[in-house]
Amino acid sequence: MSEWEPKLLGFLCKWCSYAGADLAGTSRKKYPANIRVIRVPCSGRVDPLFILKALHLGFDGVLVSGCHPGDCHYQTGNYYARRRMAVTRKFLEYMGINPQRLQVSWVSASEGGKFTEVVTEVTKELRELGPNRLFSHDRQGHGTKATQ
Amino acid sequence: MTDRDMEQKLRSEAKALLEQGKVDGIIGFEDGSLKFTTTPLITSDKDDTSRLVINPFIVNNLSVYLTEVKGRVGIVAKGCDSRSIVSLLQDTKVAREDVVILGVPCRGIIDLGKVEKLVGKDRDEIDDITRDGDRVVVTVSGKEREFPIQEVLFDNCLGCELPTPQEYDILLGEPTLPASSGDKLVSQEKVNRLKEMTPEQRWEFWGGEFDRCIRCYACRNVCPACFCERCFVEETEPPWLLAVPRWQDNLLFQAVRNIHVAGRCTDCGECERACPVNIPLRSLTREMYGIVDELFHYQAGMDKDASPFLAAYEATDTGDFIR
Amino acid sequence: MTSTKKINKKHIAELLSQWSEEFTVFVPSRAKGVPKWARWDGEGASFLDWYRNTVVPPKAIFLPPMEEMFSFQKDGKDYRLELPASDKPKWLIFGIRPCDAKALAILDMTFKDAYEDLYYLSKRSSGLLVGLGCTNPYDSCFCTSLGSSPTDAANVDLMLTDIGDEFLVEAITDKGKELIARTNLAQAATEADEARAKEAKETASSKITRKIDTEGIGERLLSCFDDKDYWEKIAAKCISCGICTFLCPTCYCFDINDELVKNRGERFRSWDSCSFPIYTQMPMENPRQEKWRRLRQKVCHKFEFYLMNFNVIACTGCGRCVRLCPVNWDITQILDNLPKEQLKLEKC
Repeated sequence: MSEWEPKLLGFLCKWCSYAGADLAGTSRKKYPANIRVIRVPCSGRVDPLFILKALHLGFDGVLVSGCHPGDCHYQTGNYYARRRMAVTRKFLEYMGINPQRLQVSWVSASEGGKFTEVVTEVTKELRELGPNRLFSHDRQGHGTKATQ
Repeated sequence: MTDRDMEQKLRSEAKALLEQGKVDGIIGFEDGSLKFTTTPLITSDKDDTSRLVINPFIVNNLSVYLTEVKGRVGIVAKGCDSRSIVSLLQDTKVAREDVVILGVPCRGIIDLGKVEKLVGKDRDEIDDITRDGDRVVVTVSGKEREFPIQEVLFDNCLGCELPTPQEYDILLGEPTLPASSGDKLVSQEKVNRLKEMTPEQRWEFWGGEFDRCIRCYACRNVCPACFCERCFVEETEPPWLLAVPRWQDNLLFQAVRNIHVAGRCTDCGECERACPVNIPLRSLTREMYGIVDELFHYQAGMDKDASPFLAAYEATDTGDFIR
Repeated sequence: MTSTKKINKKHIAELLSQWSEEFTVFVPSRAKGVPKWARWDGEGASFLDWYRNTVVPPKAIFLPPMEEMFSFQKDGKDYRLELPASDKPKWLIFGIRPCDAKALAILDMTFKDAYEDLYYLSKRSSGLLVGLGCTNPYDSCFCTSLGSSPTDAANVDLMLTDIGDEFLVEAITDKGKELIARTNLAQAATEADEARAKEAKETASSKITRKIDTEGIGERLLSCFDDKDYWEKIAAKCISCGICTFLCPTCYCFDINDELVKNRGERFRSWDSCSFPIYTQMPMENPRQEKWRRLRQKVCHKFEFYLMNFNVIACTGCGRCVRLCPVNWDITQILDNLPKEQLKLEKC
């Protein structure tokens, strides 16, 4: 019997969060291997389309992580992300998607520790939420032929 | 001022604009080919302006054409339409000097679907529909029946926040009050009922609604806020979603579309009206409008000098959900 | 005595029930206020109270909005294909209108010609059509201009005509004759019944108010083909959605897409529309980038190309495009107002 492991998709901004994740690695900090990382130039690059697509594909959660407000490499990218993510989260909740499946964090390049904490906590929460069966064929956990 | 008066003023103003070369074209309404229907009139011929109409059936949001017509254009806009124009101005999709807004103070547009339900007859079986102040008289087989106007107006007219355009060049009539008191927002009630459900029930509801969707894209194409030359659904290598009307893809399309137009969608209701399979799209647009209003105190299409919602930020924007 | 039969409207539900033992029966249904075709739920024939015509045409039964063509799975070095079940379902479409039945006959030309489309034919060839003549056409209907009528029996197996409390039943094909012979619910029709039916047919046809002149329509369209100004003007209000094409009972364009996830996948066929800008999109160019070109093509495909090449106008006057267009773009107005002057053909 295979144990379900939450699959978390992380969009990490190149200048801060991705570097922070790198630091966690070089510092030999342990964090769950459930996260798959996509590096983006800035958290402001993350289109809500990516988040919905991730859920559509079957990811159990999405983490968008960027620079702290005021520290964005592109000055204002993370401010746009903040607005966009706020709206996306509330809208997902209205559609019936648990907003906890979309997590947003500010992790700087020096915060290897914080990155570790964020991934560990988010993974734990997703494990509690259970697998994402939202887009399964009959909305009750039975997959489409291709994606089950 | 009656619809007839506004219509006369519109025809002479539109003709003058063309004659004087102030605009290259006029976008307005003319009588449609079906009873109680109007249709967009897009013309550069000054003689065509004699066909322009103003009546309780001018439902289309004509601002959808602004992103494709060339040159300067005079456009007929009800209060709600003018908000979409303001939205487009904010996005610099159209320049203020290229539009002459012919504002129509609107007392609400009649929803033929509601009339049909009330009299139990289809549109083409009805003899006449006439608005008389705050009543509507519907004649079927020679017999007249009266209804309060609130029962036959479109839902979004019932919650109208701006019956008279704030942004206009020529106002065709006296500023008017909303047709309804506005505190009985039917659309908000539908949203609230959905919110009372559990998330699983809501998801099941939306999945069920989108089972019917045939991906005709009428909702997207009729929307003034959807002006992307290349929509995300047209990316095919690799595709974000298949051009296959499975409910998963349909729902994905509509959810992303709503988020993409957040802050630009004025909840004008065209998407729901255009949908041939009666998907309650305004229960999505209404909620998105409410989210933007509640979290950011921003209402789409009210202030032409404001920055577009998603292309702006405030230091005070909420971030309480951020780790 | 006549060879036609009749059946009381009160017995229709029972008739459907009898037929359900042998066929999957499709009837008009109205969920969420949208009239479309659905499998009969065994719950009576109340659709007879409201049915004029559906929004989604019966083509959706034979050429559904989406259809799985096959699925495939990697199997070592090879791929294993799984075709959908190949049994020919026995379907009975009850209540199809003459315009929609004629449209199926036109669709057959595409799917049953040099190339036989298995997916369409597997449903179509063993299916039966029970037509129901109109008594209350819409003001958007124009079937009489296209060689048909609200009670035209040309393309069905059995034809029902409303004569008051009963339907007159005419067997059109042998299959239809067999079908009605097997039920005990139909009685022989009298000459008076037939007279009433004839009158009902005339009344229904007289209710059609929308007409177009199809005399030389192919040549007339060809002569104004290059009139860019004309086509631009009439295309101006179109919003290029797919409503007219998707809901047209004779439109058949489809797209094929694969969904691949790791080592498995499915191939789908789904409705496509020549109204969409990307319909003719190619890597280097798009010959129908402009809306007016697409609209011109759509009108000419139905009223010129099909006519010139196959002697048939690919339109049956059902009026759905007129009724359901969000901007009330009206093909009958277009056709009746073609520019009268003959233009010299020039490069456009």
